[in-house]
Amino acid sequence: MAGTDARHLWRKATESKLFFPLTLLGFILLIDSILVPGFFSFQARGWNLYGSLIDILRNASTIMLLAIGMTLVIATGGVDLSVGAVMAIAASVAALLMNPYVLAKELPPHLMRLINDPNFTFQPLWVVIGVTLLVALLCGLWNGMLVAYVRIQPMVATLILMIAGRGIAQLITNGVRIQIFYEPYAYIGQGWLVLPFSLYLVAITYALTWLLTRRTAIGMFIESVGINARASYFSGISEKRIKMLAYVICALCAGLAGLVASANVKTSDANNIGLTYELDAILAVVIGGTVLGAGGRFSLLGSLLGAIVMQAVTTSMYALGVPAFALQAIKGMAVIVVILLYSEQARSFLRNLGTKTEAGP
Amino acid sequence: MREKAAAFVANNQRFIPLLATAALACAAYLLGAILYPGMRDPQVFFNILSSNSYLLISAVGMTLVILSGGIDLSVSGVVALTTVATAALLRGGTNPWLVVLLMFLMGMALGAIMGGFIAYMKVQPFIATLAGLWFARGMCFFISDDAIAIHHPFFRILALTRLLIPGLSDPATQRGDFITILTVISFLVLGIVALVAQYTKFGRSIYAIGGDEQSARLMGLAVPTTKVLVYTLNGFCSALAGIVLAAFVASGHGLYASGFELRAIAAVVMGGTSLVGGSGYVLGTFFGVLILGITQTLIQFNGNLSSWWTNIVIGLLTFVFIAVQSVLAARRRRRRRVEGMPSAAAAPTARRRRPWPVVAGAILGLAAVVLFLVPRLQPGGAASLGTAESEHCSLKPFRQDVADSMVSGGAVVVYERNGGARCIDEVYAIYPDGLVVGDNGVDRIEVAATVDAVGELLTSIRDFGWFTPEMYDTWHDPCGQCYGYYVTVTDQGETKTIRGVNGGTDAPADYWQVISLIKAMVPPFEVGP
Repeated sequence: MAGTDARHLWRKATESKLFFPLTLLGFILLIDSILVPGFFSFQARGWNLYGSLIDILRNASTIMLLAIGMTLVIATGGVDLSVGAVMAIAASVAALLMNPYVLAKELPPHLMRLINDPNFTFQPLWVVIGVTLLVALLCGLWNGMLVAYVRIQPMVATLILMIAGRGIAQLITNGVRIQIFYEPYAYIGQGWLVLPFSLYLVAITYALTWLLTRRTAIGMFIESVGINARASYFSGISEKRIKMLAYVICALCAGLAGLVASANVKTSDANNIGLTYELDAILAVVIGGTVLGAGGRFSLLGSLLGAIVMQAVTTSMYALGVPAFALQAIKGMAVIVVILLYSEQARSFLRNLGTKTEAGP
Repeated sequence: MREKAAAFVANNQRFIPLLATAALACAAYLLGAILYPGMRDPQVFFNILSSNSYLLISAVGMTLVILSGGIDLSVSGVVALTTVATAALLRGGTNPWLVVLLMFLMGMALGAIMGGFIAYMKVQPFIATLAGLWFARGMCFFISDDAIAIHHPFFRILALTRLLIPGLSDPATQRGDFITILTVISFLVLGIVALVAQYTKFGRSIYAIGGDEQSARLMGLAVPTTKVLVYTLNGFCSALAGIVLAAFVASGHGLYASGFELRAIAAVVMGGTSLVGGSGYVLGTFFGVLILGITQTLIQFNGNLSSWWTNIVIGLLTFVFIAVQSVLAARRRRRRRVEGMPSAAAAPTARRRRPWPVVAGAILGLAAVVLFLVPRLQPGGAASLGTAESEHCSLKPFRQDVADSMVSGGAVVVYERNGGARCIDEVYAIYPDGLVVGDNGVDRIEVAATVDAVGELLTSIRDFGWFTPEMYDTWHDPCGQCYGYYVTVTDQGETKTIRGVNGGTDAPADYWQVISLIKAMVPPFEVGP
């Protein structure tokens, strides 16, 4: 009886979408605990907590935000390559709204002073955030329109914004890398409220998306569109609107991630903000167990774990003293290993392992 | 007679997208020739071919991959890795032929590995080649953090030999219009691959797999083998493109060719190849590359447009072409439904395309480009760059000795710029006591700034990361009519020289920030008649 239970549990665990990301995360943290002294220690300064684990979470917050939106897009059977470019556009818009004087060559002294003033903002913070998210929403509508209504392959449709997006971001700031001095804005990326402030943003985004997809029928619609768009259409689901919604949510998440990223480095750097983040976000989703290309069942929590796994690898490599460039090569190889682990063969191997232990004496 | 012509058109309708692309390329070139007399110089056209030869080679390889229904994002990584490895091996004294052979082997091996994963392990092409991209880029920095210069005569000959064009040049004086060996190499690749794609079993299998993989398998085609071969061939093309790039810029660096894969894909799409796979022509890719090259040249010649317009225009053109493709595909589907023909039974020859959407799309694309460019045409910019008399001015090498003597004379910033329509050559030196001296070979001017301003300038330059590896050399020669910049900065015992060309889009953004800071400090020369 106990054997049957164990077998049942083992099967349930290995078939869960969270099994692989959790195992990977555990494995990485195990290596850290052996090789890096003090990896798990926390320091408290005042109310605020600091430590390697908090660092991992804080640095993963942009990827986590992207991964939430990307999960929905991948679940509809698509992919969004433009999130990095949307981040750059969002950062440019926000920086320009806060301090348009930075772009001017000649200014009267009373305005010149405002450029470096940490308390000055041209538009109030809520307008800055609102307009930035609105611009991100427009990007999402553009992508969604191309995919759902013009019926262009998602990878190709979003490639257009990926190419043009960085150009647009530079156009907005006239090619200038705007420094951000406004302190309340910097709080979005650098603030600390016991835990890093950006983590609360991630939590809120996750909660809203979870409510939207799991407490309404939208999640099921997304899955059904991903599995078979045509069948969904015939069963009365507005397949186009669902796809549009997924791309809009993804772009909104990217806009938010752009705010966090630019607040973190306190500049709007159209060339570098969000560079190659689309790839990290897609990988986070893939590690989280949502299948790329096929669409269908998705796991938001899995994607968050995937993002943390990606960042944990990066942080532990740095802690171990691996140079940044080597990390990229290692990441490349790790991707292939992870993908192979996810293949059907690996899963059935694990299942068989469970069966064999049961069948033994 | 008219019937014959109509039949000819009907039989060759599948070439219409190809012709539309070619027409668009010609129209873009004509637009340039009308707006900028400088662009009428045939040499400008040959320079487009020469400076885009590595893009052409890579895009040709990419065409096969896309025709087979896949995608290869790793090309920019493999190109960069090839430039670094080539430069490092040559610095170590390896025979150049051996280097070239090794690079081919490396590119093909990388391609074969990725192809293997895609064909046998059923990994998505997008993911597998992405992993390849990261791996290759990472490996670059194992070889070298910095750019390595290539001085080997073999590569100098490859890049600098001028093959004079009969009729447009004078063989006795060795002057006139020319193409480079790199252009010839890229055209050889184009020709061979175009023939392979059309007339060999391998080529036809690629089309079949891209059209419908399941059917291809049922037909008995060796699907996995063909796929591995396609990626191997693309690996070879990437390696060759890397060698050509290394010869062209005479150096190797792991940061070269960033975002290059997107340009290659855009060129393929503009060439009329469907990204779904199975339809398109290798020759179309040539026109796609040409459109990209002409766009970039137009933006350079305009002089008032910033480099990021290149990206926006490329994105826009890609959009127009893809939209036209998808409209065509939708019409085809609809017609098949009307004719009651099952889609799988439609043989490629039975495809009938109406030319109108393509033509409309081409016109729309052109109109969009014009709309984007025209409001920004200011008479001053166009006239100064495009006077018919203006000699084609090649950038002069950096006068290291002058800069060195100025630095040893106490200058903290030495700033030299040369080139442009008037072939200027100006050297400026900024001294810590606020003295700013300019010399353009004819006149010499001096102005005094404050000590604080100089200190502030140096702090800003340091803050922009001047002395970090984030700041690196970029160089393209010939570059058309543009300016070359050489800046040497000495601060707190560190000295570093970085050069860049204002037509190049690959220099670090902060480099241009520094240039604009320095420009604001130095006095302009009066422009003579």
